[in-house]
Amino acid sequence: MSFFDTHLLNLVVFLPLVFAALVLMLPAGEAGQIRAVTFIAMVVDLVFGVWAYMRFEPGGAEFQLEYRVHWFKEFGLSYHLGVDGLAASLLLLTVFLGPLVVLASTTYISHRIKEFHLALLVLQTTMLGALVSLDVLLFYIFFEAMLIPMYLLVGVWGAEDRQMAAVKFFLYTLVGSLLMLVALIAVYFISSPAGARSFDYSSMYNGLLDANRQLSACTAGPPGACDSLTGLAATLHTYGPWLFGAFALAFAIKVPMWPVHTWLPDAHVQAPVAGSMILAGVMLKMGTFGFWRYAIPFFPVAAQQARPFLATLAVIGIVYGALMCLAQRDIKKLIAYSSVSHLGYCMLGMLAVTAEGATGSAYQMLNHGISTGALFLLFGYLYERRHTRLMADFGGIAKVMPVFTVAFVIITFSSVAVPGTNGFIGEFLVLLGTFKSDLGAAAGNPHLTMVFGAFATLGVILGAAYMLWMVQKVFFGGLTHRENQHLTDMNLREMLTVLPFIILVGVMGLMPQPFLDRIEPSTSRFIARARVGTPGATVETEQVRVEVMGLPAQPTAAAPSVPAPLAARAVPSPRP
Amino acid sequence: MNLSQFLQTAPVAPDVLAPSLWLIIALPLLGAFICGVFGKMLGRANVNLVACSAVGGAFVLSVLAFWATSDTDPESRRLLSFFVNPFGQERDYVRYALAHDYGTWFAVGDFRVNFGLMVDHLSGTLLLVITGVGFLIHLYSTSYMEHDESYWRYFAYLNLFVAAMLTLVLADNLVLLFVGWEGVGMASYLLIGFWYTDPAKAWAGRKAFVTNRIGDFAFLIATFLMVLLVGAFTEQANERDYTMAGSSSQRYSAALQEKGTVTFLGLQKMAEAIPEGGGGAVVLSTPIAAGPLEGYTFGGVMTAAMLLFLLGAAGKSAQLPLYVWLPDAMAGPTPVSALIHAATMVTAGVYLFSRMSALLVLSPTAMATVAIIGALTSLLAALIAFAQDDIKKVLAYSTVSQLGIMFMGVGMGVFWAAVLHLVTHAFFKACLFLGAGSVMHGNGDETDIKKLGGLRHEMKWTWGTFFVATLAITGIIPLSGFFSKDAIFHGVHHNHLEGLHWVSSAVYYLGLLIAACTAFYMTRVYLLTFEGQRSKEAKLAHAHESAWQMTLPLVVLAVLSVVSAVYAWPLMKAPGDGRPQPVFENFLSPVFASMNRIVATGKTVALDTSVPAMGDYVFAWLVAVSGGALAGFLYLRFFPARAGQPAPAFARAVRRTAQNKFYVDELYELAIIRPVKFMSFILFRVVDALLIDTVAVRGTAWVTARVGSALRYVQSGDAQAYAAVMALALLGGVAYALIQVLQ
Repeated sequence: MSFFDTHLLNLVVFLPLVFAALVLMLPAGEAGQIRAVTFIAMVVDLVFGVWAYMRFEPGGAEFQLEYRVHWFKEFGLSYHLGVDGLAASLLLLTVFLGPLVVLASTTYISHRIKEFHLALLVLQTTMLGALVSLDVLLFYIFFEAMLIPMYLLVGVWGAEDRQMAAVKFFLYTLVGSLLMLVALIAVYFISSPAGARSFDYSSMYNGLLDANRQLSACTAGPPGACDSLTGLAATLHTYGPWLFGAFALAFAIKVPMWPVHTWLPDAHVQAPVAGSMILAGVMLKMGTFGFWRYAIPFFPVAAQQARPFLATLAVIGIVYGALMCLAQRDIKKLIAYSSVSHLGYCMLGMLAVTAEGATGSAYQMLNHGISTGALFLLFGYLYERRHTRLMADFGGIAKVMPVFTVAFVIITFSSVAVPGTNGFIGEFLVLLGTFKSDLGAAAGNPHLTMVFGAFATLGVILGAAYMLWMVQKVFFGGLTHRENQHLTDMNLREMLTVLPFIILVGVMGLMPQPFLDRIEPSTSRFIARARVGTPGATVETEQVRVEVMGLPAQPTAAAPSVPAPLAARAVPSPRP
Repeated sequence: MNLSQFLQTAPVAPDVLAPSLWLIIALPLLGAFICGVFGKMLGRANVNLVACSAVGGAFVLSVLAFWATSDTDPESRRLLSFFVNPFGQERDYVRYALAHDYGTWFAVGDFRVNFGLMVDHLSGTLLLVITGVGFLIHLYSTSYMEHDESYWRYFAYLNLFVAAMLTLVLADNLVLLFVGWEGVGMASYLLIGFWYTDPAKAWAGRKAFVTNRIGDFAFLIATFLMVLLVGAFTEQANERDYTMAGSSSQRYSAALQEKGTVTFLGLQKMAEAIPEGGGGAVVLSTPIAAGPLEGYTFGGVMTAAMLLFLLGAAGKSAQLPLYVWLPDAMAGPTPVSALIHAATMVTAGVYLFSRMSALLVLSPTAMATVAIIGALTSLLAALIAFAQDDIKKVLAYSTVSQLGIMFMGVGMGVFWAAVLHLVTHAFFKACLFLGAGSVMHGNGDETDIKKLGGLRHEMKWTWGTFFVATLAITGIIPLSGFFSKDAIFHGVHHNHLEGLHWVSSAVYYLGLLIAACTAFYMTRVYLLTFEGQRSKEAKLAHAHESAWQMTLPLVVLAVLSVVSAVYAWPLMKAPGDGRPQPVFENFLSPVFASMNRIVATGKTVALDTSVPAMGDYVFAWLVAVSGGALAGFLYLRFFPARAGQPAPAFARAVRRTAQNKFYVDELYELAIIRPVKFMSFILFRVVDALLIDTVAVRGTAWVTARVGSALRYVQSGDAQAYAAVMALALLGGVAYALIQVLQ
């Protein structure tokens, strides 16, 4: 392990922040320089991010490129970074979107340019930080810090109702995450005995593991068998569902799952193109990522009990989100509701707890970032030209903007998961995973699995219906509005911004295996950890224990594992 | 060297050709890319050249591949075209076929999909049809689209379609087939809405895609059921099951690992292992032991999967209840209708069931459903075709009707005849559509047959070829349509589904009615378009004959619709007992060998292999002629004589109903589309906007704000008031404590 390897993630995470300091020093009037510096920052970050992604070995340890130092060791806190397959994939998505977001905003943003780019850079750091944190409190800090720049993006550079949308977005997500903070601190206190407490992911998970196994063993037994549990297992038996609920609510709002999704359409509609792209591309994935990394592994038994309920919500989200799209007149709102539908697939695949489902879910997270990110990007270009979001104000655009239309239609096909595009792989795997899953058995009747699967598959029809309906309204037919007759087609910059998306649509559709290979080890561990909660599960502790690097030895005396009781300490007298 | 030897000596050996099979798909794909991206720069002539040569090249490669499937050593007469079936035992060969696996597409858990291509006699035949007819239609299009400014887009889409269709027939597994399956749907969407400035055409494209998606929904679920079924089979089967299928558990699971879960060869082996009466641990009535399908029998799940595949096929092949998109698809350019909506894409359902014949014959219920759906669709479409005045609409309904006939064949187990009818139909229906296109081209895009007429003398080539094709579809001896249709009807009549014997006769007599109807409406179209006097309402005073690029394909297709009759003639000898056997049945027998074995063991279908006798031929011929003669009488004698007199009310009502397609579209609109739209609107307004967002979300904010502003009055800042509250609270506390203590 070279110095570079150990610091690679630090570099990826904080590079945008370093460049933000640089941008801060530039005069506010130098818009070109600010854009250039931000763009360079994002490109360099992309290079390092791709490097990190390539350095990740699918067959290696669970967490790689780890870095860990002491940080508030009195609280058992450490500064601990590392990526598993899913985090590496999402990290790749984040750094991929970075430069494109900057390019997309070149003409879109015309005031407070410096502040805008500062917000983008800070946002990038917080998102990357949340993905690579292996300390749960560190994760929480990044997770919350993310809200601030996004709040500014929506609230300052948004459309007409931006204030309302920004406040709604902020408060809505904050409610969930504050509950999560409470649960997090509770887990901190119960997972280890006093003195050994730590916010580290590994110690929290490993601390809960034995109790979780006991709990799952007794749920397989006769009714009431769990009442005789003692210690941590009893605590988890009583409070586990509440703790899981707090985590799940926070992440469900972020995903967003039905029925806590209503902040999303407002935020998306009001956000500037950069905001929408990042929001759809990365921030929603923090919710699914949180379920995958924290909520389900920490409380497998409670998660197992809640699985049919959550899966029902996911299926409702798929169908309901698609139906909402059919009722929209506003294009951005339609795309936003389509996100609800797509994220429903991600949640369903994860809750299926099958290899196909979970891998498909992770892949669908990437796909959604690409296809929906590109849809928002493309619509942003149209909005810049026409300053309206209503479908009725368009029609026949294909005649005047042929290249734009081609790009939009390709992304549309990716969004409705036509085979050969990336969307198909994700959706197919999620649905296959659902059909193979034991969701029905968890809900009481094995055959219910088919019902979950069939309803989820309905999204295939509805997806085509609403996307093609929108495409037809906007692009086909006659040019009925005079304002639309002189729209210019995409220029070179805009084409260059869209091209990477289109290339990825094809590459990820036809050669998904390199991406899937990196997701696969995370999937198998996630499944094993979720399976801990299945009644009568036969998961070995060694299979699921989280192994991470230890803390570096202190140059001074190592911290005692158990601090001496206060009274026993020799308190030096202040007076001689 | 005689003809048979010549045909069995391939110029390129199978093992040399197999690794290059991808080129057959790649060439049209490359053509699509060049035409689409550089088309505008290249100019019209270059685009024509690129597009035609891409498909032409694919045709040459297809001929080579087709040839290679029958490659035998000239001296020893040993077959050279075979490969080891990975799912069978070591010496289990797939004969008359070549295959190549290009590695993993995606693999997750124990599920895997490979880029595997396979050519056997079935897909080889379809390759020839797709690229051959496809090439002719490309050639035709160069002239047909000569005045269209978006020619490059047109050819890009058309090439894309060919590539997708070739993927569909070359795929060796269900998922890769699905790529082609949706790919052709996508290309069809783009081509139907080619003239997108007309909202009606863009709408027709969307309707086609969404209707197809309903089918794809069923297709996907059926695929998942197959995956579950394979999983359950490998769990529960014992060695005897595998032996029956000529395999072993080791070889089978190794092949599943290596080749993927839903390869056709693997599914076929599973099907061979589970017929009733086989004696293994798994037969059709065995319940599945674990998993989501726990408790259902193998046979039951198989039936469900086949019925779902039927819905999928109904979407693509325009059968009940999803046929409604095809007539509207006529909004696309006419060569597109000829290629996609007559010759190739719409036959995908027939191909799918032929490819999975081994699975279909396990379920007589599913087979009967397929046959009945086919017959009903066919009859309904034929009746609608009676009253249509748009030449393309008549042909569209005729296509639906003919596809129904193919489904009847598939459903009753005469797969070879269904495939033969697919081929001959591709020839004569493409000829009819292209003829219609030529008519439109020469008459100012007029499609109303009432406003045409008398073209016989003005468009001689178009007339001649249309006449031949009409005779072929009507079923007049000795054209191909007669023999292929009769082969289906003969099989339908004499095959019997286990436990469902009534289906044979029911479907057969419906078939005869359909044959008479076909003759009627085709004669009507022909007479009104080409015979009689030129209509007074015609757009142009004189029609002009089309250029050679358009007439040449017509002539080739007309010739093909005559000579392809040869395939139905019993010129060969059956391998076993030396009975006379139709050429095509003999040719396809390696493809359906597995199906035949299953039928022999499982007795689900009683397959008849007799050849129609002369009496059968005469009877079928009489049926066709009577339909044609009736139309001739009505439209040459009866109606002209009664011109000017109003028709009786009941006739007008019947005609109006048929003209309005029995109001099926309106029914769907009322029963499905509007409720869904209405429901989404209500959900949005009531649930999303009102209940969730206003009541729950804003309500929370409102309550918080109200509580806050109410509590504001407490914060008066008046120290005396605070002190008073404190004192009162203290007093209350003391009083409470006292009461507690005293009690």
